[in-house]
Amino acid sequence: MSDSKNNNSPAEEPPRVTLPEAEPRGYFEGESMTRRKVFTAASLALGGVASMAVVLPVVGFAVAPLFERGRERWVAVGRLDDFKPDTYKQVVFTETPGIGEVGKTTAYVRQGSAEFDEDPGEYLAISTRCAHLGCPVRFVQAAKNFICPCHGGVYDFEGKRIGGPPVRPLDRFQTRIRNNHVEVGPRYSVTNQLKAVRARDPGEFTGGIWEYLYPPRPSTYPPPSN
Amino acid sequence: MKLSLPKRKSKQAEPAVADGDAEAAAAEPGPSRSEKRARKIAAGKHHSAEGGKDVAGWVDSRTNSTGIYTALLARHVPKGTNWFYTLGSATMFIFAMQAITGVFLAMYYTPSTTQAYASITHLTNDVFMGEFVRGMHKWGSSLMIILIFLHMGRTFFFGAYKYPRELNWVIGVVLLVLTTVMGLTGYLLPFDQRSLWATVVANNITASGPVVGPYLADFLRAGPEVGATTLSRFYALHMMLIPGLIAALIGAHLFLVVKLGTTAPPWVKATRPKGALGEETVPAGVPSPDDAEVPVGQAAASEPTPEETPVSEPAADPADAGGPDAGNAGEEPADPGAEPADDGEASA
Repeated sequence: MSDSKNNNSPAEEPPRVTLPEAEPRGYFEGESMTRRKVFTAASLALGGVASMAVVLPVVGFAVAPLFERGRERWVAVGRLDDFKPDTYKQVVFTETPGIGEVGKTTAYVRQGSAEFDEDPGEYLAISTRCAHLGCPVRFVQAAKNFICPCHGGVYDFEGKRIGGPPVRPLDRFQTRIRNNHVEVGPRYSVTNQLKAVRARDPGEFTGGIWEYLYPPRPSTYPPPSN
Repeated sequence: MKLSLPKRKSKQAEPAVADGDAEAAAAEPGPSRSEKRARKIAAGKHHSAEGGKDVAGWVDSRTNSTGIYTALLARHVPKGTNWFYTLGSATMFIFAMQAITGVFLAMYYTPSTTQAYASITHLTNDVFMGEFVRGMHKWGSSLMIILIFLHMGRTFFFGAYKYPRELNWVIGVVLLVLTTVMGLTGYLLPFDQRSLWATVVANNITASGPVVGPYLADFLRAGPEVGATTLSRFYALHMMLIPGLIAALIGAHLFLVVKLGTTAPPWVKATRPKGALGEETVPAGVPSPDDAEVPVGQAAASEPTPEETPVSEPAADPADAGGPDAGNAGEEPADPGAEPADDGEASA
């Protein structure tokens, strides 16, 4: 197009050079890609590499908490003789640090006993987080049941669901004894047979095929072996 | 060796400049001005000669802003257009209001678990007009959801989601979801008891989705429990990511509205000239099927358009056929006038 004076005057039209007909059109013989296609593909590939160099670290940055486990916290909640085998004592401790009052949670703690437990441990700490939608359950001494005020979930003395919409027993906290005190540690969930599994959020079933539909998360602690 | 390319009609700069120069010289005689102009032209700073004499003309000659104005505000709309057609614009206005008030709320808000609530109470109680600006943002969020649903209802009951506007419906649904995500993330920010527990419950609901739910909930709250990082995460999503996505998708939504035109209400009956072909009966290979169905009451059928010429002779190169000429040929004659006919037919 630069030498437009040639085209303007038809008398001086240069002799046209006819190339051999390419098949498919636009390709020279033996070519598998046109120059344009090569450059298009190269530009897209380079742009993709450059974009990924930005996007991948950022996405990794954002999803990293899925694979991080917070520091394991153990909190002393009372002396050994504060807790009886036949009733629960309510304790309040900080489960999530750094967010003030709302990081606290409530648990019901008692001594394990062969009379009430199928598999008695030393001490038992039951989370008040309802397995339905997470409302706080209350232990009713007269009925020896845990009752959720929101939607009527009922759990027995061991925390097993006996009524209402919850999908699994109440969560528990690991317990240990240090310096004549009971300490509570990471949360874990249990199946209907009270087998310990990694902590689940409320509303998630445990055990059987549910272990695959609601898979354990790497951000939670492994359950205690029992 | 030189391949002779097909010659294109290129706009030559010189004649236009010469015309402008002649006009200018005729309108404003005076050797000094034309000398200045000649010097400008020699220096290459002669663009004002093409663009008109005012700022609008100068901008227009560089941006075609008149065309944008025409496409947005002076476009043809079908008969029967009524107040229900303003719901989309109302939603967009509320989004703009949320964006503006949000920017100014961010000047006082502190996304920290220890200071968020205090900064909100300070903003509400102490800052001049703070309660009003926060109220606009708070009530505007609800209003936006309401307007979206009304807009969606209008689109549904008027049949405006049908061909060729399905993609705009899909974009609209994505915008609806993003708006609810804005509601979710914004709800936590005051960080009072209601905010926190609403977020806890929302995360539990998220986690109860099978397979991906637990991980999605972990992603949202940045860990197994709602904590300090959850607040800054929600703040970043609420401030940056989701508004950007919404703004971009609103742009795409509007582009398609302008490109495809407005749907006539279903009670407006379309009339079609006898013998005109429907969309489906246009034989394949005709590059612009809309040429066949003549706009109702328009003279476009008898007018030969310049775009018809390349249609008659088959395009030599597929690459050339996809060029701007082909796009114009398909779009231009059908754009404003044909719309009522199409939609009346589709919804009748």
